Amino acid sequence: MTVTVEKTPAAAQKEQAHRTGRRAGRTGRPHAVWALPGVLFFTFFAVVPMALALYLSFTSWDGLGDPRPVGLDNWRKLLDDPRMTQSLWLTVVLTVASWAFQTVVALLLGVWAAGRQRNRAILSAVFFVPFLLSSTAIAILFYALLDPNFGIIQKDTLGSQSGAFLAIVFVGGWQFIPFHTLIYQGGARQIPEVLYQAAAIDGAGRYRQFFSITLPQLRHTITTSTVLMVVGSLTYFETVLILTKGGPGTDTAILPYLMYEAGFKTYDFGYASAIASFLVIAATGLSLVLVRLTGFGAMRSTREGM
Amino acid sequence: MESSRGQFTGTTAGRSTGSGAGGRPFSRRWFLGAGSASMLTAGLGAGLTACGSGGGSGGGDGKTLTAFVYGDDAVKVQQAGVDRFNKSAAAKKAGGTIKLQKVPGSDYSPKLRTAMGSPSAPDIFFNWGGGSIKPYEEADKLVDLTDIIEGDPVLKDGFLPSVLAAGDLGGRHYGIPMRGMQPVILFYNKSVFAEHKLQPPTTWDQLLDINAKLKKAKITPFALGGSDVWPELMWLEYLVDRIGGPEVFKRIQDGDAEGWGDPAVVRAAELVKELIDDGAFGSKFTSVSYVNGGAPAVFARGKAAMHLMGSWEYSTQLGKFPDFAKSNLGWAAFPTVEGGTGDVRNVVGNPTNYWSINARTKNKDLAVGFLKDCASKAYAQALIDNGDVPTTSNAAELLASSPNPEYAKFQYDMVQQAPAFTLSWDQALGDGLGTKMHTEIGKLFAGQSSPSEFVTACKGLK
Amino acid sequence: MSHDTLARPAKTRQPDGSPATRSPRRRRHWTRRANPVAGLGAFVWLVIVLIPIYAMLSASLTGADKALTGNPLKPPTDPTLDHYNTVLNSGFGHLLSNTAIVAVSVVGIVLALCIPLAYVAVRTRDRWSNAAFRLFLLGVAIPAQAVVVPLYLLIAKLDLYDTLLAVILPTAAFAMPVSVLVLVGTLRDVSEDLYEAMALDGASPLRVLFQLTIPLAKGGISTVVIFSALQAWNGFLFPLIFTQSDGPRVLTLGLFNYVSQFGVNIPAVLASVVLSGIPIFAVYLVARRALVGGLMGVGGK
Repeated sequence: MTVTVEKTPAAAQKEQAHRTGRRAGRTGRPHAVWALPGVLFFTFFAVVPMALALYLSFTSWDGLGDPRPVGLDNWRKLLDDPRMTQSLWLTVVLTVASWAFQTVVALLLGVWAAGRQRNRAILSAVFFVPFLLSSTAIAILFYALLDPNFGIIQKDTLGSQSGAFLAIVFVGGWQFIPFHTLIYQGGARQIPEVLYQAAAIDGAGRYRQFFSITLPQLRHTITTSTVLMVVGSLTYFETVLILTKGGPGTDTAILPYLMYEAGFKTYDFGYASAIASFLVIAATGLSLVLVRLTGFGAMRSTREGM
Repeated sequence: MESSRGQFTGTTAGRSTGSGAGGRPFSRRWFLGAGSASMLTAGLGAGLTACGSGGGSGGGDGKTLTAFVYGDDAVKVQQAGVDRFNKSAAAKKAGGTIKLQKVPGSDYSPKLRTAMGSPSAPDIFFNWGGGSIKPYEEADKLVDLTDIIEGDPVLKDGFLPSVLAAGDLGGRHYGIPMRGMQPVILFYNKSVFAEHKLQPPTTWDQLLDINAKLKKAKITPFALGGSDVWPELMWLEYLVDRIGGPEVFKRIQDGDAEGWGDPAVVRAAELVKELIDDGAFGSKFTSVSYVNGGAPAVFARGKAAMHLMGSWEYSTQLGKFPDFAKSNLGWAAFPTVEGGTGDVRNVVGNPTNYWSINARTKNKDLAVGFLKDCASKAYAQALIDNGDVPTTSNAAELLASSPNPEYAKFQYDMVQQAPAFTLSWDQALGDGLGTKMHTEIGKLFAGQSSPSEFVTACKGLK
Repeated sequence: MSHDTLARPAKTRQPDGSPATRSPRRRRHWTRRANPVAGLGAFVWLVIVLIPIYAMLSASLTGADKALTGNPLKPPTDPTLDHYNTVLNSGFGHLLSNTAIVAVSVVGIVLALCIPLAYVAVRTRDRWSNAAFRLFLLGVAIPAQAVVVPLYLLIAKLDLYDTLLAVILPTAAFAMPVSVLVLVGTLRDVSEDLYEAMALDGASPLRVLFQLTIPLAKGGISTVVIFSALQAWNGFLFPLIFTQSDGPRVLTLGLFNYVSQFGVNIPAVLASVVLSGIPIFAVYLVARRALVGGLMGVGGK
């Protein structure tokens, strides 16, 4: 890509190249204030609400009157509530199950689709189609297909704990595997050919190559995809709301659904905010741990050192 | 985020990270750059606020009042009522019109609540009276209609006093009846019953006997929309009433959580569990919904023989399966339970639904005028035509003109002769407690908690 | 999303700094070889993808009077387009245009706010711009669901309840962190020498942005456009909580309401799902490369 830089007669600038040790220094660098509109906007619609959620978690508020401070009540309740315990457990299991299902399938499909054969390209295009539907549409699609009396598969899939749980894992996978496949496909295409050639010379078979070259080379891609999945699994709320309403009983009431229920069904906005604050802390903590474990911190863009 | 600090704050070879302003601070160009972003946002804002706001008491000038209504098959009666009222002299006198907003049923309560907490709240809204409007009353969001009703013969004498009072809070009126009576009735599919030579059960033992025969014939005894939970609640309401009488729930309603420990509640929960284990609701009921028409369809198509449901089941079926509603829908009272003390004539359900007025409405006269229309003969007739039984004083003489006079009379007598009419538990307890109770009932029916666990959990509800 | 965006080793980049959205044809890849086992796996997945789609299409063409059978593979006898008519006559166009307004506005806001942000984060690097950048880095992990209660309070106080803006503004805000990361990742790869050349010519930051940075960041920008448009397109929770009337109803919420409206008329419900997918499917057919390439960018290439 070439860029034509329009040369203008250099206006005699007073502050021409304020030198700081090397060549051109700070000229042409935008002022930090440029970032202000974005920062303000994000602060107002994301950071302030988060602070507000934390504040509300120490109050009792029914959505109509004014919030009443109640100290640590909601947080105490959070620790005592058996539904919270169940929900947390469910969320963890759902996240892990979804991660395992999506990672295994997407990794294999992605590596396979990294090939340049025409048939693979065509299939990849087809694989991608589910991702085009919104989560809502997909949840409704499966809700309709699984309707116990009038659907296509007239079994009581959503009426049993394991059935409902697996349905959510499957529906989530059906929707998001195309996206993660794409990520792995991109990652796999960047593995240098020379590694495989060397391995082939050493007499490593295809499976050895997969485990000793492909997987290690994809570790950053796996991290990226994992972070996306973990944060993304919190958004299964829509799937749960439409497919199972948290049921049967409370068998699929994951944390975001529990929060929605506390807020918009029992109108206990204080408690809902406590769950929300917990979610934010957990999601941030989890992402940090993932980043740490996989040694992102140590990585830099190599351009940095130039 | 320590881990990522290196990426930006790390001083790299030969590059200073001192903060120096670039070029001339705050040049015209800078303003263009930073300004254009915010301008765009603001411009979009100005353009879009105009797009479809719901109006309501926040924005209106009192010319158009918004009325929220529960959007189900019966909503056509309210729509016709609004259309008629908007053309009436009363509307012209008050200088405005009513705009009906149908809120999908499954979502009604949360939508109403979020709207009421915002500036674009409805002026008039559908509710179940009692516990369902308590939070609004506590937040001073309701018009107290007591004096208006007292001072207006049309309203004062227009409705059955018991029904008018049933939606009260602390002896004050906040609502005007706007739909039919809604006792819970045991419906049955006549053709299935005829085919297997069955009679509607009058005792619990008979009911179990019928179940056994139906299961032999591979028919599910009862349709049940378990995924909505409130149809499950109806079973407990009737069983507790038949076993221990209306006093059992009265105690709970009055705030004594220990009332859940009453032997009648324990026994009712046990009977429910026996029914489920016995396959009385089939094997899929936890994922069947009433709201989306699943349970009514199963019942109408003869896959299930009976359906315990509010009286609106008739108009639901009339809307979806008219032939079935007209010729094959049978009804009966809930049977007695052997050894129970409750009167077989006792009824559970909702007396009716009410319109309430938002205290912040810009045109109270118009809203009151609209509510008065509910006492009119034309409105009552429209309810009758839809298969409902209005709660107006003149209801009795209109029954004969019902599309199904027999059914209308059955409902009317049932309510009029009931020694006790217990309000649906969830409505009596209000949204907060009601939803938590739903959760426990859902668990009981899904087999996740035993009857004794259910009772313990309910005692702990706050 | 991840910080990976920022920290890819440069070797994964094209030397000219263009994003790797186009397949690097330079090397003959190892995956040229056939792989029957993986091929079989791919075929299985193909079946899993196609069966629900096929069942949806076939059921949506089934007449209302015909019960759906337990066999998803049975083609509909005498197919009908009635259900599509029903849906199109239930205000579908209005839903679609609302969703389009939301998507375009969200993309506009995100670009207008994030490009200057990323530009400053990459070029200026003083204390303030680093702080701003770190704010967004933290923001990546915040689930939008978690702040819906306080946002509702905010929206109600601003008198935006039940308007499209109530959906647009928070949606845009929550698309920002990822967008900033993607853009920063792209802008970092613009060579310092080019900047210096322009700076020596005395070009103002604004001119540099428009003449150098934006043209070179096309890949990242298209990723951001696609990502934020998808967020807007898929958003359900914000419309669910912040709107209620027909006026500002968007497609996802409309679908949700169709479920109550059509109930067990499963074919009609499915027809609405098919219709909701058609616009974006059309985009996919026309601009598959851009869409797929852009999405790969979200994965931090």
